[in-house]
Amino acid sequence: MCYTRTVVTVAQLCSELKRLIVSELNLKGRDPETIEDDAPLFGAGLGLDSLDALQLAMSIEEKLGVRIPEGEQARAIFKSVRAIAEYVAQVRSA
Amino acid sequence: MRTRLWVTGLGLVTPLGIGVEATWERLVRGDRAVRPITLFDTTGQRARVAGEVDGVHVPSPAWSRTSAMAAQAAEEAMRAAGVDVRAERVGLVVGGTTAGMFETEHLLARLHAEPGHREVLAAMLSHPLTSTGDCLEERLGPFARVRTLSSACSSGSNALVVAASWLLAGEVDVAVAGGSDGLCMLTLTGFNALGALDPEPCRPFDARRRGTSLGEGAGFLVLERAERARARGARPVAELAGWAVGAEAHHITNPAPDGAVVASLVERAIARAGLRPGDIDYVNAHGTGTPLNDPVEAAALARALGGEAARVPVSSTKGQIGHTLAAAGAIEAAITALVVARRTLVPTAGLEEPDPAAPLVHVPRVGREVPRVRAALSNAFGFGGMDAVLVFADPERGREREGGKAGREEGRVGGEGAPHNRTFPPSRLPVIPVITGAAVFGPCGLLDAEACATLPEQRLAHDAVVDPDAHLDAMRARRLDRAARLGSVAVQKALAEAGAPAEGTGVVLGSAFGNVDGSAAFMHRIFDKGTRAASPAEFPNLVPSSPVGHVSIYLGLRGPAFATADLAASGESALVQAAQLVAAGEATRLVAGAVEPRSDIVERVLAALFANSPAQAGASRVDVAAAAVVEAESEARARGARVLARVAQTIEWRRDGSAALRALQAPHGPAEVVLARANGGAGALLDATAWRAAPRLLCEPALGESDGLGAVAVVVAVGRLATGQAREALVLGLAKGRGYAIVLAAP
Repeated sequence: MCYTRTVVTVAQLCSELKRLIVSELNLKGRDPETIEDDAPLFGAGLGLDSLDALQLAMSIEEKLGVRIPEGEQARAIFKSVRAIAEYVAQVRSA
Repeated sequence: MRTRLWVTGLGLVTPLGIGVEATWERLVRGDRAVRPITLFDTTGQRARVAGEVDGVHVPSPAWSRTSAMAAQAAEEAMRAAGVDVRAERVGLVVGGTTAGMFETEHLLARLHAEPGHREVLAAMLSHPLTSTGDCLEERLGPFARVRTLSSACSSGSNALVVAASWLLAGEVDVAVAGGSDGLCMLTLTGFNALGALDPEPCRPFDARRRGTSLGEGAGFLVLERAERARARGARPVAELAGWAVGAEAHHITNPAPDGAVVASLVERAIARAGLRPGDIDYVNAHGTGTPLNDPVEAAALARALGGEAARVPVSSTKGQIGHTLAAAGAIEAAITALVVARRTLVPTAGLEEPDPAAPLVHVPRVGREVPRVRAALSNAFGFGGMDAVLVFADPERGREREGGKAGREEGRVGGEGAPHNRTFPPSRLPVIPVITGAAVFGPCGLLDAEACATLPEQRLAHDAVVDPDAHLDAMRARRLDRAARLGSVAVQKALAEAGAPAEGTGVVLGSAFGNVDGSAAFMHRIFDKGTRAASPAEFPNLVPSSPVGHVSIYLGLRGPAFATADLAASGESALVQAAQLVAAGEATRLVAGAVEPRSDIVERVLAALFANSPAQAGASRVDVAAAAVVEAESEARARGARVLARVAQTIEWRRDGSAALRALQAPHGPAEVVLARANGGAGALLDATAWRAAPRLLCEPALGESDGLGAVAVVVAVGRLATGQAREALVLGLAKGRGYAIVLAAP
């Protein structure tokens, strides 16, 4: 029961995060649904950089109420949309 | 024989003390002035320390802290040099970024509580970037000319470069140049949002560094040609021997990881000084203490200095003073000049565990005397990748070297193959600046110069949609705010018209008030939601030079890049500055103009100021960007470009325009005057010149009102010449207490 609810939450969070990425980072014309859950966000993936990560962290804190830690931890969390969603879900359920 | 430039006076206001001696004594001792901020509430911020200046004397509410510190520093420098503004042509160049933001934040807080408060609104634009130069003009002038510029954290360095170009061109006898910046909540919150600040006082080059520390202060230097200084019995502190400025065109906040642009600027600056890496005995690094800057700067120094990097001591003063933003380049230039003069190295305070990723010869803890400092570098890098490197040298170095072999031999060690040009700059042939392309973007759409020839006859709908996005790549332009988008479109079009390559091209764009709306929105968000809601992506767009930085990045322009400000004549100041730099041989090609998006706040302030006079309130203001490609005639001819117009003369003045315009050359053939708007003052000035009979064309009735219309007038004038409507054209740009005349001639 609990497991199922978490899965649904992560999937919903993924969609919400994709919309947030497109709007906050001004990716005009990009359909949020075309961003893959596991694709790398930085470098060769979506082409984001450290300034985008900071902006995204700020808006995740504002919109989803979860504070992203700094430094190495952030790097792991920002690996992909799914990684962020899992972190958000984990903090919320804690 | 190259013209030598001497530094004959210094003035410093820093967190270590007010005055050169107060600062120097504590600097050499290794004292650190970075401490908990008292100027405003820092609750909830990641870093809550900075270098604050105690004892700033703000003479009246019309002055900002920034202006007050600038006046104290400039006055000290001018007194030390014995400058007489009545006896000599003295130019003033002021670098700034925050200007009166500290004071404006108090107004924004009141407006946040009471959005329509008329008196508060009316005071909102009291401290624009130009206000510091205006305060100095009032207190220490009259100056022969005044320039206000911004290139973020290299503003102070660029101010010195502009001053040097004026002196080498013989346009002024003495130049007072520097920068000033006061601490404010906006910059602290913005740098915290970027994660760029160390919660503890910063530790440049230390393995444990976590960011920089902010500071505030002012630094001014008096520069003059050595010959003239010697004749009046002035003594040099040091020689400003070389410099190089350019843009990385990489990223709005991050340094290019390869440091290639910095390395090339260091090489060029040393070569320009007629020196080799073996002659450099000290480097005052930008050394912010951010994880990104320090290793990149160390790598760039290693690349440029070669084997000499293992010998040359490097230090950063930011652990003691903090990063004083627009003032940093000037404060650190003054400190570098003192290091040369006093043969005493200043330390990197806070550095205890040197980071192996930034391998340098450090000067830890305290300063130390050394046998000699023949020449030293001062680095400054700004947001948008606007970099500057200055070289200060011992004015006696040549004689010393002739006396002993040591210097010469040392020069050879790492100097093999290094650029070495003792005759630089080459014989000073007059360089004629020409315009090879120009464009206007606004309610008229996107027009090239020729299409602009008929602009004054048109009556366009002032509410026409101005859509820059149709001309830009959405993904690459995603960080650009409206000003940067408008600017990129106009500059891109002007360059295309000129058929000019990005290579070697720089950008100078004027703006009257900068991003007032963005700054207000940034602060309102903080008032509403707290400092953690500050937008890291929005913060860099609040810097006055942000449109210039974005344009240079978007279009890959790596030449000199900075913004100018001079109220409603900001576009004229940019164009005149560009022509001066090209004429002086300091730039090959510059795209210059104005970027003025509509501003809700400017309109509300004007409405509040002119509540009883709707005409002056200027309800219908429009988005405008206009730019012209200014380059050396020889360069234009060499690349087979079509020359649309020659810049035959530029005149600029403060106060009395009629006296300045006595130098205005008379037209020889069919001539026209192009004005931004109907202005009784312009009519009276023109009536006293040989241009009195020339037809006068106006831009405002066609396009609508904007502070950028002066740059539009220049493009219209270029268009009139290019289409054969006139042989000569005069653009007369006026704003409160200042003016510019630009004479263009058909090629």
